Order: sequence, then structure tokens, then C-alpha cells
Amino acid sequence: MRYVSLQKNKLSQFVKSLQKKYKVVAPVKKENLFVFAEVEDPEEISIDYIPTILPPKKYFLPQHEKLGTFVKDSVSMAETNIDVEPTVLFGAHTCDIEGIECMDIVFHDSPLDPYFGKRKKSVIIIGYECMKPCDEYATCVTMDTLNPRAGYDIMITDIGDKYILHLNSPEGIEIGKNALFGKVTNERDMKNKLLKLREDKLKNFKVLLDAEYKELNKIFKGSYNSETWKDVGRKCVSCGNCTAVCPTCYCFDIYDDVKLDMSGGERRRVWDSCQLDEFATVAGGENFRKERSSRQRHRYYRKFDYSVIKYNKFFCVGCGRCTRTCMADISLIETVNSLTKEQKNAK
Amino acid sequence: MSDKKNKKVRIAFFDFADCEGCQLQLTYLNEQLVGLLDHVEIVNFREVISEKSDNYDIAIVEGSITRKHDEERVKEIRKNAKIVIAYGACACIGGVNGLRKKFTQQEAKDIVYKGREFPLEAGEPRPVHDVVKVDYYIHGCPTNNEETIKALKSILIGKGYQPPTYPVCVECKLKENVCLFEKRQVCMGPVTRAGCGAWCPSYGNICYGCRGLLDNPATQGEMDILKKHGYTLEELTQKFETYNLCRMMGEQNEPKKS
Ligand code: SF4
Ligand code: SF4
Ligand code: SF4
Repeated sequence: MRYVSLQKNKLSQFVKSLQKKYKVVAPVKKENLFVFAEVEDPEEISIDYIPTILPPKKYFLPQHEKLGTFVKDSVSMAETNIDVEPTVLFGAHTCDIEGIECMDIVFHDSPLDPYFGKRKKSVIIIGYECMKPCDEYATCVTMDTLNPRAGYDIMITDIGDKYILHLNSPEGIEIGKNALFGKVTNERDMKNKLLKLREDKLKNFKVLLDAEYKELNKIFKGSYNSETWKDVGRKCVSCGNCTAVCPTCYCFDIYDDVKLDMSGGERRRVWDSCQLDEFATVAGGENFRKERSSRQRHRYYRKFDYSVIKYNKFFCVGCGRCTRTCMADISLIETVNSLTKEQKNAK
Repeated sequence: MSDKKNKKVRIAFFDFADCEGCQLQLTYLNEQLVGLLDHVEIVNFREVISEKSDNYDIAIVEGSITRKHDEERVKEIRKNAKIVIAYGACACIGGVNGLRKKFTQQEAKDIVYKGREFPLEAGEPRPVHDVVKVDYYIHGCPTNNEETIKALKSILIGKGYQPPTYPVCVECKLKENVCLFEKRQVCMGPVTRAGCGAWCPSYGNICYGCRGLLDNPATQGEMDILKKHGYTLEELTQKFETYNLCRMMGEQNEPKKS
């Protein structure tokens, strides 16, 4: 059985039942914005939300993470037990799920990152499908991340009078056995119904990028020396917000935290950002990306070109966070549209 | 600095033109300070102990250097110490004392001591590195104990300490704070050196820039942002000046990166 139904007033009860076995993290309100946080009372959940300040990547690659311990005068590092509480990530949007997929590819690429792997295994992902656009910054339509595809255990879709849950993994199917759920007798009908729904919902969404998905990479191939990067660089204050909030930015720095009695310590990692002055500085003081313009360009190329070369995949999932968070008003939509215009005019 | 067979590192604290608030911070360290005392011996610390000694390895200097005899005193300290740490905004960047530079010395005296029979001696506020070589900096107004401990540990194991070269925003975002610009408030975070853990924004307050401008601040970018929020040039300059006037009016030496 791949689909079950849930009455609309039973969502909280569903979450309560999950809490018996799992820690549940879900979108909750923080002032005028939203964050993913552990919920005690399911009523705290804001299921209608725009992308949270930080994406759910923080549950797979925490901002600060212990990698191991060491003792003085020894060169070996003790293995770390990565003990992760079984967790349900509840209410993730499809763009964020795609973001986790991107991270998954990177961290499972050789050499495998055991920390990420362990966390990934401990988190069950229950998505919540978007039926209307979140705001004027998201480009999920063009980036093709608007519809559920893969990377989740369960996807919840609001079909009007009730929710339909797509059970997409053995864990998802197990959770789907709960007595709260109704049967969906004709699976094929349901599948078609969902397809139709997804076709119809598109008219609620505006297409904000002037280029199409299949043109995007080509546009970037021709834009390395574009003037646009200078404009972007002039505005940028290198605060690193755009990379912290990006669901597919995964760079980190490693440091040692020595104990007060100096007998040893912990090796830890912390999120880093290619937008910061020192990121591309190497021994001897040479900085490969000294200019803010080159650092911003680098960020965009990591989303629209380098990842395509390496993984055959865009690493922008269209969540709009980088634009939403930028106090200097650097907009991904404006930047990509400006490159598109230049490229189209050049023809 | 290796701790050769129980030989403790001797640390001395000194204060110049300041409020002593940063030293006071240290008294909040409680048990952490006690842990550290396994490795160090504090020989000069006016906030807590009254004996004094000229025999020390590390001098932690708080406050700006102003008068002639302060200059002499800090030079003497430099001679005695193997390592000099500038501690707190006044010592590291001149801090709010720098605001004195908006006036001539006479004007300032008239404002402060008008009608007073015995005006105190005054001088030019300067960060410590304008007078003697500084090995390490622990920024802040006040300093943040977490960073202080981190820096001290790092210096004690011989690694030295380099404060972050990135802005407060980096630490602020990692804490998932709602950005103050989102709330139409104007924050100095983007141009201010991190290391405080985005202390103020995490409690809902703007960053005043107490840790000083970054080595490479995006001044124009920040100005554009502030202008967009309806600030006049005068108000903008004020925001920058509160802690950074010494630097903005040109220091003799740029802070050395150790
Ligand atoms: S680049 Fe911007 S829009 Fe694209 S995934 Fe990252 S934060 Fe979202
Ligand atoms: S509140 Fe201030 S420090 Fe935090 S992200 Fe916004 S501008 Fe930066
Ligand atoms: S947030 Fe700004 S003003 Fe507050 S402690 Fe940090 S640097 Fe100083």
C-alpha cells in the first residue's frame, strides 16, 4: 500500500503518535519568520510557512559538530560515537528535500562522511507539498523542485477535503500502518488524481526566471566575465548569510577545542562560507578570491555550473533563501535574469 | 608557552583609561577561572587581589593609553612581559575613548571640567598597539568570557590567538536569529569583527560594533544598506564612530596580525 488518507483535523494527532517514538522537528514561528525546531505540542507547528531561516540541513550537518576527541601527546584520535536520537523531520518542503538530496550526494561521495551518513540514517523525512507559492523569491518552478519526486519517507499532500500521504520507504510504510489513516483503495486513481492536481496548481505559481531549466547551464558557461558580477560584488558586504541559509552549501572549517586542564580536547567542525575573506586564503597569504565579486560569482557557479560538471545536477533548489536573507538586496532572480539578458543579447 | 614541570605561567592584569568592565567580566568566570589556575598564576589583578608583582610572563592590558606617564608605564610593562595581550575595546581599538578625538584637547577639557578647580591631566586616547607592540587581541566592550578562555587556552598551548576576520553576521546566522534588518533596525554586524557569538543580536539588540571594524570592511556596501533604511550621512558616520574613531582618524600602526 503506497497511499493512505488522513482527515484534516487529525494532523496534530498524527504528530502526537510520532512523538511516542521519535523526536519531532517541524516549522514553528520565530517572530515574523519560521525555523525548524523540536516541537513539544503539535499545535506549535506552522504548517503553512515560507522557507525557514536555516534549512533543515542543520539536522544532517549541524552548525557545530564534534568529530572526535584527542589526548595530549598522542597522535591518534578516539572514534566518536555519533549518537543521534531517532528524529522525524516534519513538514519539509520539496525544495528543502531536494537540498538534502544534494548534500547526500556530496557527503556520500568518496571519502564518505560518517557523521553525515549516521545522521541521515536517523532522520525520517515527512514532507508537506506546496500548493501555493511562498513569496516572490522562490524559483522552484524553474528549478523543477516544486513537486515531490524522491528523498522522502512520506509526502503529505492536501487534496482539498483531506490529506493524502504517499509512503515512499519501508519506514514510511511502517508509519502508514497507524489506525489514524484511511485506506486508499484505488492506488492508480490516486496517482492520476495527484498528477492532475500538480498540473493544476502550476497556474498559482509565477515563473520568475527568464531562462528555462535547460538553458541555465549554458547561460552560466558564457557569463564568467560578465559585468553583472561587478555589480553584485559592489553591493555585497560578505556577511556569509547567503551561504549559511542555502540548503546545498556544505563547506565547513575544522578546529580543536582544548580542555581547560589542557590534557586533551575535542576536534570540531563549524559551518564556513566562501563569502568570507579568509576562505580562499592559503599559506603564504595568497587569496584566490580576494574580490567580493569573485566570491559571489563562485557561489553562483557552485549552484549552476560546477555542480553540473561534477554531479550533473543544479545545486540551486530555488528556495529563495539567499535573496530573502540578503540585507544588501542581492537577488538571485535579478542576477540570473541579468546574465540571461546579456547572453540572449549577445546572440 | 609550555608548562614545564609544574611551572605556572604568571599572568598580570593592568588597566589604563577604561571602566574596568572587561576585568570585571573575568570575575564571572567562577569555576572556569579555577580550572585555569592549575596552569597559571595571577600576580596582578586589581579587581580581585591586592598584592602586586613585576615578575610576570603575560601582561593583559586593559584600557586606552592616554597620558605621558601611561605611555611610560605601558612601555615598562612591555619590557617585563614576554607576551602582551590587549584586552577589551579600549585597549584593542581605542573604543569609546576615541570619541574624545572629535574635539581638541582644550574643548574636551572645557566640556568635562568647566568650572572645576583642579582639572585632571588628559591626553590623546590611543589603542595599546599605538604605543607598544601587542601580541594578541581580545576584543569587545565588554570582552566575552567564552572568547577570553578560548584565546587564553590557545596562547597557553603556544598556538597564539587570531580573532575572527569575518563579521558578526556569521555567528548570528548560525544561531538562526531573525536579522535585525528584517525588523527595520540597523545593525553594525556586517562590518564588525565576530568572536562575541553575536551577543547583542541574540538578545534582540543591534550590534554597536564594539569589536571594531573588520580588517576589510565593506564600508560602501554597509553605507548603502543604511542609506536605504533612511539614515543621513551624519547618522551613518555616528554609527561607525562610536567605537572606531581612533582607527577612522588614522592610527599610527595598523593592528598587527599575529
Ligand atoms: S542558491 Fe539561493 S535559492 Fe538556490 S538553493 Fe541556495 S539559498 Fe536557495
Ligand atoms: S542581526 Fe545584525 S549581526 Fe545578525 S545577521 Fe542581521 S545584520 Fe548581521
Ligand atoms: S554584537 Fe556587536 S556590540 Fe554586541 S558584543 Fe558583539 S560586536 Fe559588540
